[in-house]
Order: sequence, then structure tokens, then C-alpha cells
Amino acid sequence: MLLNIFLKEIKDCFRDRRTLLLTVLLPVIMMTGLTFFYENMISDNGDEKYRLAVSESMNQDLKGIFTGFKNIDLVEAADPEAALEDGKAEAALLLGKSFSSQISTGEKAKVTIVGDTSSQKSSVLSSMVQTALSVYEKSIIAQRMQANGSDPSLVEPLEIQQREMADQNENTTLLAMLIPLILSIAIGIGSSPAAADLFAGEKERKTMEALLITPVKRSTLLFSKWLTIATVGTVTGIVTLAVVVVEIQMLTEHLKKALSFGDQTFTIIGLAVLVSVIYAMFNASLLMLASIFGKTVKEAQSYSTPVLMLAMFPAMGLSSKGINELSFQHFAIPIMNLFSLLKELVFGIVDYQHILIALTSNLICMIVLFIIGRMMFLKDKWVMN
Amino acid sequence: MIEIHEVTKKFQDKKKFVTALKHVTFTVKEGQVVGLLGENGAGKTTLLRTIATLLTPTEGMVTVAGFDTMKNSNEVKKRIGVLFGGETGLYDRLTARENLEYFASLYGLSKHETKVRIDDLSRMFGMRDYLNRRVGGFSKGMRQKVAIARTLIHNPEIILFDEPTTGLDITSSNVFRQLVHQLKREGKTIIFSSHIMEEVSMLCDSVAMMHKGELVYQGNLESLYKTEGSRDLNYIFMSKLVRGNEHYAS
Ligand SMILES: Nc1ncnc2c1ncn2[C@@H]1O[C@H](COP(=O)(O)OP(=O)(O)OP(=O)(O)O)[C@@H](O)[C@H]1O
Ligand SMILES: [Mg+2]
Repeated sequence: MLLNIFLKEIKDCFRDRRTLLLTVLLPVIMMTGLTFFYENMISDNGDEKYRLAVSESMNQDLKGIFTGFKNIDLVEAADPEAALEDGKAEAALLLGKSFSSQISTGEKAKVTIVGDTSSQKSSVLSSMVQTALSVYEKSIIAQRMQANGSDPSLVEPLEIQQREMADQNENTTLLAMLIPLILSIAIGIGSSPAAADLFAGEKERKTMEALLITPVKRSTLLFSKWLTIATVGTVTGIVTLAVVVVEIQMLTEHLKKALSFGDQTFTIIGLAVLVSVIYAMFNASLLMLASIFGKTVKEAQSYSTPVLMLAMFPAMGLSSKGINELSFQHFAIPIMNLFSLLKELVFGIVDYQHILIALTSNLICMIVLFIIGRMMFLKDKWVMN
Repeated sequence: MIEIHEVTKKFQDKKKFVTALKHVTFTVKEGQVVGLLGENGAGKTTLLRTIATLLTPTEGMVTVAGFDTMKNSNEVKKRIGVLFGGETGLYDRLTARENLEYFASLYGLSKHETKVRIDDLSRMFGMRDYLNRRVGGFSKGMRQKVAIARTLIHNPEIILFDEPTTGLDITSSNVFRQLVHQLKREGKTIIFSSHIMEEVSMLCDSVAMMHKGELVYQGNLESLYKTEGSRDLNYIFMSKLVRGNEHYAS
């Protein structure tokens, strides 16, 4: 019986153009947009070339200052400043006339960086040139002190190294926030027409009465309908994830690297699907209540929108949390735990204890919501207009 | 056989109680066709919903074929077919056949039974041409036929129709009237509410008149004509209402 009802509801739902549009098309569009946006952003950061105008007469040694800076291209010109003005470079490096000889004789040599502070590219380049020069400066100091017979480490009390936490690069962090956000929105939006239709819609069209006079238990009806909403949500979730995975694998280069899990790939994808299923189920329970409350499809949807928004609220606070700052409550509060778990997964972390906490708490909440739904559905007031 | 015993139904509507049925008692014997009359808000729909197990009486009880509608609602549901509103209760995105198959499955009919029943009903209503088309594109009359077929899919002994011909044109209304004649020949028990007096006088053996939740008259149509000294049901209905109102005033 349950299966009969479920199959009919699914058939009915997927014949609805809205459902089809929202479950398949919307995630494809959202995720494609997101993927390409990030791919571009990442490649912009990594590959951007900066052109620095230098004098033609600059010797090979000095050019060596910039060999460590792969994204600085040297543009040789008779007049570097003119080259800058012509837009052939983002900044220019002007060395004093007798720069090399002054360096070797131990005199003070003059160097000027010409840039345009209103241009971001130029500012970035200027500071890179400054860094390069200060490294060069230090090496000169060291040479001169050695020549004097003193220890160069005297003037270099600190050896500063800067490094991002191994796997917590900025791009992954953003992606870890956005994937769950889009996934939850997609599941919410994808299953809401079905949810509104299955209770409020049936009341509005008076098919509910026809259903209720058949000798089928109300709880069976309720459960089949809930299952339908959850299934539609799951389909949306899986389509969304599939789109992300396929597009990242096939169409991107940098994201593929930012999101590579090695031999954990299948575990992580599997767990991401599990998280989507759980979220779809939780979401179905919420939407079911909104739909039982509503007398019409419109009413149901005007209840479900704020409910979903509110539910997503706690998750917003997560964006500022680092992956190592997540604690028990982040995995215990429904919806927030979807964000936390997916964040971990995006970073390639598989923590079964966290998954278990999230699973249990969602299950408890779902059962409570389902009981409330059942209580309402058994009351005449909520099933008939 | 339907026995309605001292049924009172109260609705709570925004802190205010509405009494839709007041101590309604009457019996419908097997094979009878009863017309349910009453102004808007008289309680006709409420009474039919109560018989159909959809509403729990606040007081009193209803039995259908000997089964209590509350304690044994499943037995009642198996024996009863209900159509609320002329052409409602269909899923637009399913075909006529899928609609019927769905309800057949809810009534627990086997695949074979379902097929036979759908064949019979579609022949009876002449809807074979559009059986495999989606209901969404149907005209009112086509929908009504499918809705009636849905009501009869499990071959119920008792059939309730709530304003079955409201909003339908003459042709579609006639389909319904012919159907009632046929069901009557088959020995079914039928209650239908209507605002159309000629329909009632044409089809019914007896009538039940409701006024503000109370049953003001129930009985055989012929004997009603005799006691009132008129065959104009419209006139009789109006005079009953006036008397009902006087009863309220006193
Ligand atoms: N679910 C409900 N909640 C509150 N009040 C209700 C409900 N259903 C019916 N009523 C009230 O009960 C009374 C009887 O309504 P009912 O629908 O039974 O009348 P009716 O005879 O079918 O009228 P109509 O001819 O307009 O269909 C009305 O006053 C109505 O407002
Ligand atoms: Mg009514």
C-alpha cells in the first residue's frame, strides 16, 4: 500500500514541470555558475602575471633578484618610466646610474620603484618588488659583514617564514561554505513544490477528502507523502552534488586540485550523498508540517519559506569558524551539522564520530517533527478546509 | 442501512463554537434514494462528512451497515463511496485511467479486478476515448464522469453525493441523473444533497430537510406531497423553512 501511494506521488510530482525544473535544472545552473566563478577566482590568484619595466642596461646579476618571483615578467626598455606610462608595464624599477659599482664598493645605491597606487595590480607588483629588493638588501648586508669579519645573523635576529595551514587554503574554505549553502537551498527549493502540493494542494483540490475516505491508515498516507518529499529532496541533492563533482573533474583545473581527496574520494562522495539524504529527510519533515498547516498551496509556501530561512540561520555563523574549531554543538544542531559535516568533507576530513552525532540528532528531530505532523494529520481541522 | 442517532457536531472556529448539527436522528434503509435539502450552511456537507467517517460527531453516533463510523471506520469506508462536489478529487497530472487505478489500489482491489471494473465503468460512462489522457485537460463533464467512476470504483453499496450537479451543464447533469436511476436499479443506497428541487423530486424516494443544523423533515416524498397538499417541492421546502424559523423564534 505504502509503495503504491509512494509510486503514484512520485509519478505525479515528476510530471509537474515546476518540480522537474527545480530538482534538476536549478542545481545544474547554480552549481555550474559556482564552479566557474571559483575556477576563475582561483586561477586569477595563482597565474596572474605582473610586468615590471626595467632598464635595458640592467645586468644579469640584478635580474637574478627576481628569479624567485615567477609571476613577475621583466619588460626591458630604454626608458622604464616611459614604458610604464605607455601601459607596457604595471610598475617600473629605476636604478641609480652607477648602481652596480656602488653596491660592489660598499656605497649607498639609489633605487626607485614607480607605481600607481590606484591600480591594485600595480600595488601588488610594487610590494612584490619591495620584498625582492629587501631580500637582495639582506644578502648585500650579509656579504659586507662577512667581508668585515662579523656574523651576519647579528642583523638578522628573525628568520620569518609564512605558510598557510597545510590544507586550509582560502579557496577550499569558501567552497566549504558555499557547497552546503547551495545544497541546502537546492534541496529546500527543489522539494517545496512537492511538499506544498502533497498536503495543502490536496486540501485545496479536495482530493484529500477522496483519499481520507479510502480504507488506508492516515499514518500510511502521511508516511508515503513524507517519503515522497524526502525522495524529491534527495534527488535534488544528488543532482546538485553530481553536477559539482562532474564539473570539477571535467571542466576545471585549479578546483580539481583544491578538492582532491586521493584514495578517499569515494568515501567522501558517499558521505556527502548520505549527508544530503539526511538533510532531505529533515527538510521533508519541516516542509510537511508547513504544508499541513496551510490551507492552500500558496499558504503552505508562505509558511515554508521563513521556516527554511530560519533553519538556515545558525549555519551562517559557521563561515567564520575554522575547521579545527568545530565542536559538539556544531554537529548536534540540525542543518548546522550539514554545514559542519560538508565543511569537513570538503577539507578531506572523515570523522565518523561527528557523522554519528549528526545522524542521531537529525533522526531525533525528524521523529519529533513526524509525531507532530501525525498528530495534526489525525485532526479533522488540519486535513479539511 | 444508515442509522444516524442523536448526532451533534460542533466546530470551534476562532474561539467561537459553531453547531453545525443538532441532535440529528434518521435512518436510511437499503436501496433508498434520499435527497438532502437545506439552505447554505444548513449542515448538509457536515452530515455527509460525518457519515463518511471524515468527521467525528461531538455527540451521538452513526452506523453504516451495522458498523460504527468511528470505531469501525475501515469497514464503513470499504462499503461507502463519496463524491464531494461535482467533479473534484482528481489528480490533474495523472490520466483518467491512472486516477482510477490509484484509487482502486487504495481500496485494495487486485490488478485484475481493477481492469475489469475500469472497463465496465468506462463503457458505462462512455469515457473510453479519453481514458489514457491526462485529466488536467478535461472538460467539466469529462471530469465529472471520471470522478463518479472513481467514487464507484470499489462497487460500494452506499453512495453519498454532495451537490453532484452544481456548476454542470444540462448534458453533464443528465449523465448524473441517469446514473442514479441505474444505481437505484442495482439496489444501492444513495444520499445526495442538492439545491435543485426538480432533480430531487425526479430521483428520490424520500427527502431529508435541514435547517440551521436541525433535521426539520424526513420522510417519503409521496406522503410529503399528500400531507402538504402540493406536488411543488420548491413551495413545500420554502413553507417548511418558514415554519422552521417560527420554531426558532418561539
Ligand atoms: N471545518 C469547519 N470549521 C468550522 N466551521 C465549519 C466547518 N465546516 C462547516 N462549518 C460550519 O458548519 C455549518 C454547516 O456547514 P455545511 O458546510 O455543513 O453546510 P451546507 O449545508 O453543506 O451548506 P452549502 O449548501 O453552502 O454547502 C456552517 O455554519 C459552517 O460555517
Ligand atoms: Mg455543502
